[in-house]
Amino acid sequence: MSSLLRQHAEQLYAQELEELQKQDTGKRPTNWKLTPQSVVTYLIGGKLKNGFEVSPKYIGNKRLMEIAVATLTTDRALLLYGLPGTAKSWVSEHLSAAVSGDSTMIVQGTAGTSEEAIRYGWNYARLLAEGPSQGALVETPVMRAMKDGKIARIEELTRIGADVQDTLITILSEKTLPVPELNTEVQAVKGFNVIATANNRDKGVNELSSALKRRFNTVILPVPDSMNEEIDIVKRRVESFEKVMELPAEPPALEEIRRIVTIFRELRSGVTLDGKTKIKVPSGTLSTAEAISVVNNGLAMAAYFGDGQLKAADLAAGIIGSVIKDPVQDKLVWQEYLETVVKPRDEWKDIYRACRDLM
Amino acid sequence: MIHILGIRHHGPGSAKNVMEFLEKVKPDIVLVEGPPEADPLLQWVNHAELKPPVAILVYQPEDPQQSSFYPFAEFSPEWQAIAYARKNNIHVRFMDLPIGHHIALEKEAIERVKKEEEERKAREGEQPGAAAPSVNNYSIKNNEVVEVLPIRKDPISWLAEAAGYDDGEKWWEHMFEHRHGNEQVFDAVTEAMQVLREEFAQKETHTERLREAWMRKTIRQAEKEMFQTIAVICGAWHAPALVNMPKAKDDSDLLKGLPKVKVECTWIPWTFSRLSYYSGYGAGIESPGWYDHIWRYPKDDGSRWMAKVAQLFRKKEMDTSVAHVIEAVRLAEALASMRNLYKAGLEELNEATKTVLCNGEDILMKLIHDELIVSNRIGEVPAEIPKPPLQLDIERIQKRLRLPATADWKDYTLDLRKENDLERSIFLHRLQLLEIKWGNRQDVSGKGTFKEMWRLQWDPELSINIIEKGSWGNTVAEAAEKFVIQKAKEADALSKVSTLLQETIPAELHKAVEVCIQCINNLAAASGDVIQLMEVVPGLVQASRYGSVRKTDADLVLGIVNSMLTRICVSLPTACTSVSDDAAQKLLDLFFKLNDAVNVLQQADITSLWQQTLQSIAAAGNASPMIAGYATRLLADYKLLEGDELVRVFHYSMSAGTPPDKAASWLEGFLKGSGTILLIDNDLWNLVNNWVDTLGEETFTRVLPLLRRTFASFSSPERKKLGEKVKNGGGSSGIKSSVEITIDEERAKQGIPVILQLLGIKN
Repeated sequence: MSSLLRQHAEQLYAQELEELQKQDTGKRPTNWKLTPQSVVTYLIGGKLKNGFEVSPKYIGNKRLMEIAVATLTTDRALLLYGLPGTAKSWVSEHLSAAVSGDSTMIVQGTAGTSEEAIRYGWNYARLLAEGPSQGALVETPVMRAMKDGKIARIEELTRIGADVQDTLITILSEKTLPVPELNTEVQAVKGFNVIATANNRDKGVNELSSALKRRFNTVILPVPDSMNEEIDIVKRRVESFEKVMELPAEPPALEEIRRIVTIFRELRSGVTLDGKTKIKVPSGTLSTAEAISVVNNGLAMAAYFGDGQLKAADLAAGIIGSVIKDPVQDKLVWQEYLETVVKPRDEWKDIYRACRDLM
Repeated sequence: MIHILGIRHHGPGSAKNVMEFLEKVKPDIVLVEGPPEADPLLQWVNHAELKPPVAILVYQPEDPQQSSFYPFAEFSPEWQAIAYARKNNIHVRFMDLPIGHHIALEKEAIERVKKEEEERKAREGEQPGAAAPSVNNYSIKNNEVVEVLPIRKDPISWLAEAAGYDDGEKWWEHMFEHRHGNEQVFDAVTEAMQVLREEFAQKETHTERLREAWMRKTIRQAEKEMFQTIAVICGAWHAPALVNMPKAKDDSDLLKGLPKVKVECTWIPWTFSRLSYYSGYGAGIESPGWYDHIWRYPKDDGSRWMAKVAQLFRKKEMDTSVAHVIEAVRLAEALASMRNLYKAGLEELNEATKTVLCNGEDILMKLIHDELIVSNRIGEVPAEIPKPPLQLDIERIQKRLRLPATADWKDYTLDLRKENDLERSIFLHRLQLLEIKWGNRQDVSGKGTFKEMWRLQWDPELSINIIEKGSWGNTVAEAAEKFVIQKAKEADALSKVSTLLQETIPAELHKAVEVCIQCINNLAAASGDVIQLMEVVPGLVQASRYGSVRKTDADLVLGIVNSMLTRICVSLPTACTSVSDDAAQKLLDLFFKLNDAVNVLQQADITSLWQQTLQSIAAAGNASPMIAGYATRLLADYKLLEGDELVRVFHYSMSAGTPPDKAASWLEGFLKGSGTILLIDNDLWNLVNNWVDTLGEETFTRVLPLLRRTFASFSSPERKKLGEKVKNGGGSSGIKSSVEITIDEERAKQGIPVILQLLGIKN
């Protein structure tokens, strides 16, 4: 096992990618590592002809993944849009791993992301010493992706200021990045494209200009449709986490995951699963990703401070932490939920008590 | 040589295959699945003015509700086969079991089931037909209730499943509809169906066997007539049964002695939305608009479709550039190639539209679905086709008044001061009376009685209603008049006739109005129930107001209103004694309306009669207290009871001697609906205020619940203002700001569709 804290998708699933490549007989777009069909198989999972099992990375609608992959074969860029925690970055990482075998060309969008972070920057020491030259130029991941014909990833596109966002227009429509200081340009090699992610919950985001919007195809990633789908996602991710973190705890019982997912789904939709009781909705998003981290957190608690068995008490802190984002309002919401929904459920007594103790 | 062409009803690919096949083999007779009674109608196909979607309507003249439709779109294989035959002047015949037998058999079955049910209660009726809707039967029965099963599993979906598709429709489309070569398609279809039929043999019903026997009989007949090349177009499900002919005798035995009724048929316009299975049409298709598109432009790679989408978006004022269209087509192509399809289908195009044009949102897809995928096209039928006279009259009037029948709804605002609009309104009202529900009267904003708003939407089933009502007369006016007269004569309740009268007046059917009034008169005279009369009068008064715009029989109505009011006034005082609380509450509402009506009428003698009645009710000690209270109030409003006299009456009724519940009811009646008036009218305010002042502490505590009960019925802003007024010492300042929350309901209503849309509920 590698000593890295977190491996890239292409490292973690190297074997799957290799097997897929071996099986791949169809026509590949230039500089793609796999055919579009195989990319979809990699994401959705399935059995190859030689019996090799590809694990699913995205659990949900296959058609969405097909649209995403098909978009990358055209000259439009892909914008993955959705609530926080709907696997946008996850899909983006795996897409670029499968398409270019490299998911590291990444720019994190923040309010402070500057043009230099997207186009190119300068090594000022060399700039002063040598004047503008190739050697003094600092390439960004986008520029490198253009040169190598790979996928560049931009996380949280809408957090970037509008003026900086718009520097992408030339890159996306002309597929070139001019460097006027050196009187040259970098023309994108075939295989280059951009996957951006953006979430639609944050306030104060910078809406894309319509010129930029037109360069993106938008795929909205939804929250999981059904209870079972969500449980499946949580279970798979928790299992892989256990493997990576080498936790001595026992794998969590399905029942425990089901309870967490139930709590999250109920609070998210504002109604109990049986549709009978109305619940107030807290301000947090309560995404699947948060459910995963609650279980992970609980596992770590159980392993190091408990008896190795995932118990309600190990989960309680995590649940409360992810539900109560606003200390005043959400606390009321949570207490109400605890008293009206959790308490009457007989088999939930342990969770109720654990949460009560922490409040 | 007999060629059996198994097709899918309304499949454009099947239609293309049939066309190519017919061109190649050049048959000398074409037999098509359909009702033989409609054979004479086939001559109209290829008439320039018969524009699909149209349907053959087969009905039983004595009972038009017993009817079936056979819809055709331009891309229906049956339509193309018939059109081919007409163009090349060869024989074409329908070959299904005649509808006359169908209806008769069904009636027998119903009677049999009824009888059996009488004998043994729990006994199942006849099983519904075999379950291969899209390849078996394309007719739709009127009023047929199609059961929507949670999982509709037709036999084809078994085949589809075997081939790895999740949807039978999609499988069929890819296997047979999108095919280019047609060489072996029909043989393959027959073979596939053969297998299915063997698997699902038990599903065949008696009617199915009869239908197929009749088809075979028609084929044999054609052979007997020495036709050389016979092309048979039928639903794929039937193909195997027609290929393997049993002995002729078996079939004729089966068909012997079938019951029969007389039927008639005609062409009627049909709509695309009724062709889609959302309307409950068993052989319905998901996307008539799309099928029409691929029938017209079989070579379209999606660009033309996308251009249509873009045009629609632009029409709805959404910016859509050509670049968008190009990108969307590219994405659709990329998707198709990823899914190993040779061409982008509707699904790929929809997904591309959503991703490229709609920013991934679903909302706009609804628009595309309604306008393009289903589309609201309506067919046309030439004027010279023999039709029932009433239908002809309606079409004539529609043309004259420029009110075309459309599949999508359209709003008309009529200004009754204009000649043409008045005629339209009269026409629509007459149809309404005939229960032909083409128009739907909408509430109209603004004041005055000269405006009317109608929402018109044609439904093919209206044709049946028209045929049904045809027995009442050959023109709209005649039929409506006779129908109303009949209804009025049959009516046994005053309220029924009076509603009828209200509806008849704007339809300007003088004779019918007279009859209605006569009926009302008779019923009113016979009726001892004053409440019934009271219910009717306000409506009639409303109706008589039409006199201002319409040159109508308002005077006649006025006469009857006067006589009815007189009757009411005579018997009302007795009707108000010893009634229960609930009944009093109802009576109070009627009082309220009746008082309004009297005020609207503005006739001195009636008003004074009404006032006298009120006085006697208020004065009579035995009237229901709530009503007595209200009557007193009305008298105070009329200024007939003022000053000290009013104070005296008030105190008398609220005095300690009166049982508390009676006093409470009286007060409730007295202050009915007058929270605001109490604020504005200082006399009334002082009256109540002074009375409360005079109460001792003990008495006050005693009446407090009564007061509370009355005041609880006021709206909360009213109560708040009343409280403020008390605080300010009861000055007249309470009205400086408008107290009532006046909501303009009309304006509020206009927002509702938008809100519904926002919530994703279709209106």
